[in-house]
Amino acid sequence: MAATILIVDDSATMIMSLKATLTLNGFMVETANSGQAALDKLKTGIKPNLILTDINMPGMGGLELIGKLRALPPCRFIPILTLTTESETTKRDEAKRLGATGWLVKPLAGAELVKVIKRVLPGT
Amino acid sequence: MAQAHSTFRKDGIGATAAIQAQQVDSSAEGHRRRLNRTRNRLFAEATVRFALLLLLWFLLSYFLRPEMPFYSLRVGAMLGLFVLLPGLLYATLAFKEAKLALTDLRAFSQLTREDISRMLASRTAVCTEIHDSSPYIDVMHSQIGDSLAESEVEVLKVIEQIGILNAKSNEQRAHIAQSIRSSRELTENTRLRGDSNKQTIEAIETHLTTQTDEFRKNFDRIRGLAEEIAELNPFIQVITSIAQQTSLLALNAEIEAAHAGEAGHGFAVVANEVRQLAVSSTKAGADMAAKIRVTRRRVEEEMELAHLSLQRHEANNAMQKMVEDLCHMQSEFARNSQLLLDVISQVDTNYEESVNRLSEALGHIQFQDVMRQRLEHVQEALMEMSDHLHQLSESLDDKTWEGQLDSTFKSILGAHLGRYKMASQTQTHLAIAGGSIDHDNSRPAIELF
Repeated sequence: MAATILIVDDSATMIMSLKATLTLNGFMVETANSGQAALDKLKTGIKPNLILTDINMPGMGGLELIGKLRALPPCRFIPILTLTTESETTKRDEAKRLGATGWLVKPLAGAELVKVIKRVLPGT
Repeated sequence: MAQAHSTFRKDGIGATAAIQAQQVDSSAEGHRRRLNRTRNRLFAEATVRFALLLLLWFLLSYFLRPEMPFYSLRVGAMLGLFVLLPGLLYATLAFKEAKLALTDLRAFSQLTREDISRMLASRTAVCTEIHDSSPYIDVMHSQIGDSLAESEVEVLKVIEQIGILNAKSNEQRAHIAQSIRSSRELTENTRLRGDSNKQTIEAIETHLTTQTDEFRKNFDRIRGLAEEIAELNPFIQVITSIAQQTSLLALNAEIEAAHAGEAGHGFAVVANEVRQLAVSSTKAGADMAAKIRVTRRRVEEEMELAHLSLQRHEANNAMQKMVEDLCHMQSEFARNSQLLLDVISQVDTNYEESVNRLSEALGHIQFQDVMRQRLEHVQEALMEMSDHLHQLSESLDDKTWEGQLDSTFKSILGAHLGRYKMASQTQTHLAIAGGSIDHDNSRPAIELF
């Protein structure tokens, strides 16, 4: 069965392009346009195999989302990748401290993204 | 249009300057009077300071006379050191300041009405320009915002089209996968059928060859038999010839027996028997010849039939050729099936390539989000510039303003360095404005913790 990936980004362009890229490569995709929307979506029973989140979002940002996700028992071990334009190393280190699995900088080629996801989710 | 606008603006500024020039003209005499009073006051203050200092000096000189006690001398020196010297310095500085102020006032008093009018007009123009920059910045801010919104809409349409293409491609891929499966089954079935048919064809070929050999052997045997029968003809002629000679001999014997009279009577009986034997032999020879001819004719007919059968059978080589053609056709079919499979596999490979390229294209579309964030930062910067210019405009309108600014363009620009999200923004800033950052931007684009 195809792996499910939850995309969290406030940009419709990013959501659409990432969804198309991942669908094209055989993944199932769920989307949320903010950190809070992602938490709400997870409450509905969706169990993603991986979460791909932006960092700078209005309302609940990516770092806060990572912290909250790691506090939820069902999400404690779900790999979380960040995909952001943010280059500040303190935020990168903060994401690592909070439990992110990896840090990806936009724009990232589709093949590279798929390669990283397959590395994080072996067998997909 | 722009020129007309410029002319209009120049006219407006000129009118404002003329009004202000009239105001200046009316109050110019008052300014001159105030200037003279200020100059006189400054001279009076400087004169009084010098007078006070001289008085102090005289007093000290009085206390420092030789008849005065030594203690008073020391007090005088202390006073000179801590009071007189600073006083002299202060007086000198005050005098210089007063001199500079007087120079400024003198220069100001030398300004003509036109000069003041021009300066005031320039100041008014600058104020007006700064004030008018606000809608300009607002328009540019909105232009950027609208462009971003439009580009986002268009990019979303592109992504939607790619999504449709993706869906169609997925259907196509399902068809291709089905075709590959069918082709593989077909190829495998063809191969198995081919192997089976090959064995059948080989058996048929063997059977046909054996049958042909048997037909040929039969034909050869019949022909040999016919030849052997044909070889009996001379024997029939010999028998016939012997019978004829025997008959002739019997006739001669009967003649001789007749010549011999009674004595040849027994010999005549033998001769008669011999003649009858000759007749029987001739008849037997004729019968044998007839039988042999009949047999030979039948053998020749059989041989003819055997020959026809052989020819017919050999004509059946066409069937063998047909079998060979069938084999060839089958191998061609197998080859073409494999070719078809290769073509479909190639299509599948090309499809995969298309998928990769579509993924790449979708990755490149992320530039819109990157561009959006950069332009949103520019929009923020424009708003900051607008606020700053507004503050500057208000300060210029304030007659008590002494030129102090809470923030400057330099400080505002410097503050951006800490707010950039992307390394590319920081690089552009540093390349143009210089400066340095206290964090490292050289970490890789992909980092797994």
